[in-house]
Amino acid sequence: MMLLPCPWCGPRNATEFRYGGATGARPDPVSATPQQWREYLYTQTNPLGWSREGWYHRAGCRRYITVERHTGTNEVRSALDTATEDG
Amino acid sequence: MSDTHGTAPGPLARGALEPRVAATRSGWVVDARRSVADLVLSDESPLAKVLVKGPVTGAPGSVLGTSSGRAARTEVGGGTALVVGSGPGEWLVVGPVGTAAATVAAIERTVSGRPEFVSLIDLTHGRALMRLTGSRAPSVLAKVCAVDVEDAVVPNGGAFRSSVATVVTDVVRDDRDGTPSFLLHCERSTGQFLSEALLDAGEEYGIETTTLVGLVPEG
Repeated sequence: MMLLPCPWCGPRNATEFRYGGATGARPDPVSATPQQWREYLYTQTNPLGWSREGWYHRAGCRRYITVERHTGTNEVRSALDTATEDG
Repeated sequence: MSDTHGTAPGPLARGALEPRVAATRSGWVVDARRSVADLVLSDESPLAKVLVKGPVTGAPGSVLGTSSGRAARTEVGGGTALVVGSGPGEWLVVGPVGTAAATVAAIERTVSGRPEFVSLIDLTHGRALMRLTGSRAPSVLAKVCAVDVEDAVVPNGGAFRSSVATVVTDVVRDDRDGTPSFLLHCERSTGQFLSEALLDAGEEYGIETTTLVGLVPEG
């Protein structure tokens, strides 16, 4: 079982969350090319190491959180509310 | 079917539990049979349920006086209601049967004129509510919920939302005369599934269904 430390609810089973993927800079909707949108939406780097990713706590506080997680060990070194950047 | 509390017009609403002895109350089919077992599950769906949403630190929190993760009784619209801080910027107000409209109106009056946006929704017929009471209630929940509900983690007046038998459920600890008691609130379409999962989990402890308990014990 993988635990995620929700900043509102405390440690919870990862099955309570929906994985939102690695977070990154969103392309400018005005100037982005279809190729840039495609890379943003579908092309993931899938690193082995620390990854900054978004999770949605669908069965808990229903907030989006930003988590720094090691993809090899599932160790989490920070979890913040995405909207407020509070931990 | 006997009508014990007056006939309400319109169709009858059914809760999460199949009544053993059916009666009607304010337009709801309720179980008239009271159990004396040590571990009981009651359908509390007829209770008024109002969802309040607003800023995390704003008018609803100061007016209702309850923060996220806590539940307390307070006077709302001239009656006693249980106000549950069910999430950040989210409150569930549980009131006596048939008081939803009055509860919405009372909260509307208190938050009107405030600068922030606050929404109020009567969820009475959209959600299921049940109460699990008994000294073995924590043992039953331990089978179907990953969150530890023992005293040290969830004391009386504690509340949280989590997966209970795979159903997203608000769990509120609301002890009765020192006996552990939990209110479980979920989408009404999954209420029967959740109640059957709880009855299945509590079978080894002799769980029985009982009549609507309400916010205060009924004589």
